[in-house]
Amino acid sequence: MSSLSVSNINHKTGDLAVSVQNLGLTYTTAIDRRPTLKARVKSLGRGTKQTRVVQALDNVNLDVTYGQVLGVIGTNGAGKSSLMRTIAGIIPPTKGRIEVFGSVSTLLALGIGFNPAMSGRANVHLGGLAAGMTRKEIEDHFDEIAEFSELGDAIDAPMRTYSSGMYARLGFSVAATVQPDILIVDEALSTGDAHFKEKSFNKIKELRSEDRALILVSHAMATLREICNDVAWLHKGKLVTRGKPNQVIDEYQDFLHLGKSSAIDEDL
Amino acid sequence: MSTPLQVYEPFRAGLPPLRKYWRSLWSRRTFISEYSRSELREQHFDSIFGQLWLILNPLMLSAVYFLLIVIIGGSGGAIRYGHLTASLFLFYLVSNSLSGGVKSVTAGQRLILNTAFPRMMLPISATVIAFFKFIPTLLVFMIMRTVLGLPFGWQMLWSIPIILITLIFSLGVAILISTVNVYFRDIASFLPYLIRTLLYLSPILYEASALKPELRVLEHFNPLFSILESWSLSIVHAQTPQLSSMLVATGWALGVLLIGTYFFLSREREFAVRL
Repeated sequence: MSSLSVSNINHKTGDLAVSVQNLGLTYTTAIDRRPTLKARVKSLGRGTKQTRVVQALDNVNLDVTYGQVLGVIGTNGAGKSSLMRTIAGIIPPTKGRIEVFGSVSTLLALGIGFNPAMSGRANVHLGGLAAGMTRKEIEDHFDEIAEFSELGDAIDAPMRTYSSGMYARLGFSVAATVQPDILIVDEALSTGDAHFKEKSFNKIKELRSEDRALILVSHAMATLREICNDVAWLHKGKLVTRGKPNQVIDEYQDFLHLGKSSAIDEDL
Repeated sequence: MSTPLQVYEPFRAGLPPLRKYWRSLWSRRTFISEYSRSELREQHFDSIFGQLWLILNPLMLSAVYFLLIVIIGGSGGAIRYGHLTASLFLFYLVSNSLSGGVKSVTAGQRLILNTAFPRMMLPISATVIAFFKFIPTLLVFMIMRTVLGLPFGWQMLWSIPIILITLIFSLGVAILISTVNVYFRDIASFLPYLIRTLLYLSPILYEASALKPELRVLEHFNPLFSILESWSLSIVHAQTPQLSSMLVATGWALGVLLIGTYFFLSREREFAVRL
């Protein structure tokens, strides 16, 4: 299990941050969104399938070094989120091996918000503790998180009263503030209002540094072109290409038969 | 080249590396205490009236059942009432752990999808919460048994290992049912029936010694039977519980915990894709 509080000091540019080797991920998931015993009993003897097997990732090899800002692109269901989750240690791989050389902070699609009945403050604390931070580390970062999220007094209100934008703001603030060695952001840049979008965009730019590795999953091609120095394209669980942002993104957009219309480029 | 901080590989035999799992579980014990505390606060059990409700609820329940017993069975008495109350209080520890544990994993969805941590923290927290709710009722019973004039004795100390056994059992069932709920989300709606059945099959409304010999087979099938029998003997009657029922109780508790833990750990890798 990754632990945010354990951190190697002094990473140099070019040092390996994440090494993904021959990664394969297959899992079984329920077809029903909410599988119930009742439904199962009722369909007994009918031979209806209850589960389906998903081959999410297939023989993926990927190295990320410190100083790199890697953008991950691909169509829906390409395995981007699965890849992020395996790197973060949330889903163990079925095949292959992942080595991580630093502390990882994740901001995946769902963001923060463990218990909607509790306040934003309590959720930040619980989320941090679950990620392996100590109470003191959370306390040290808390003011910065609260300020960056611009939630004001709402931080002490139950999270069920939050709008989706507020959820996203708090989630981004936590992930970006805890100063991880490796930051994984999954489609979280595209939430919030224009003002916060701009702010988080700038924060990501600020976080680009020699001793940090960023992995961004996004459909916002313009953003990726601007921020990343490396882009990987996933398709149906396989790594298609990896290389210079403009080159890979152009290739990807050609593949989509869409050309460089501003609609995709500005899909922020 | 430096050594990696974390290595993720496929699980052997479907289980995560146990030593590493245990270490990361132990290092996150602050989460369990913080979570239990904020959960209790959220349910208002940090206030006087919240605590009062915690005690009043089983107390009123025991009064109602006492009425029932007196009307049906005809025999009342301080011992009977003491037995009923003490047994209900301990039973509530198990039932609270079950009802809190059942949704612990599914309710932690956002956290599970976003953070790598030992998922077992969630049902463990449910049991810890149930235990925190149990403590004040224990104090109330101590006052009550003094008022009722029940016998005192060192044998009452046997209740300490019994509470421990009950906690192990509660943890086991919480872990087990939280896993089942991932696959069948409606288990929570069956839970009240299960708990009610367990209540009637356990020596709570009656004393184990009053049971007909042919009904004593219950004790082999109901894990709570030996626990509650020993509990009542020690804390109500101030007598030494039978060694055999203590051993049976320990066996059940450890067995359920072991099976539950195995089931949980072998399924845990799926949680993130099943939620």
